[in-house]
Amino acid sequence: MAVENEHVTADVVEVSEFVELAQRYNVQGVPKTVVNDTVEFVGALPEPRFVQQVLQAAEKKEKK
Amino acid sequence: MALISPEDQEALKKLFGEKLTDDVNITYFTQHESPLIVPGHHECSYCKETGEILEEVTSLSDKLHLIVKDFVKDEKEAEQMDITRIPAYTMQGKNKGKVRFFGLPAGYEFSTLLQSIIDVSTGETQLSQKSKEALNKVEQNLQVQVFVTPT
Repeated sequence: MAVENEHVTADVVEVSEFVELAQRYNVQGVPKTVVNDTVEFVGALPEPRFVQQVLQAAEKKEKK
Repeated sequence: MALISPEDQEALKKLFGEKLTDDVNITYFTQHESPLIVPGHHECSYCKETGEILEEVTSLSDKLHLIVKDFVKDEKEAEQMDITRIPAYTMQGKNKGKVRFFGLPAGYEFSTLLQSIIDVSTGETQLSQKSKEALNKVEQNLQVQVFVTPT
């Protein structure tokens, strides 16, 4: 997604090395995805669902 | 001893030769190992190994370039990329947004690293046309953080 759009930053975070971050986002299972601290989901989703979830964060931001 | 076996190195050379179209710069933020043990100072647990893996991977194609930065000395560059913890590395090629990795690329993460290199080199992704269209409409910043483990 970050390849396709200049506004997207894609981060991969290894939880055992960054325990503090994992605690902040309450990571109990992996993969866990957090978008703009507003949308989060656990597990690998099929691609259309994944994109849909990420875009939800964009919509949430617009409403503010 | 190399972390990537000679057989895997050959397979990766072939893969990169077939798939990579454009140059990719990998900027790696690390710290120099201190001979002193300073109380309260956290050594970067996997910086050495992360650096070694990146060195080995980037040596397998002349399209791949590794730029090593010191997290402390090159503070400004780290700030520009919003790197607040290490080991961390970013990729720059034909990607429009930022692609960043935090932590050692071991286990499953190694294949994520390889696929990301290919995507960034070609500027092409495996996303569906529908997803691409939806993404193109996004004009606000989105930070997608994926938390993973190496196994």
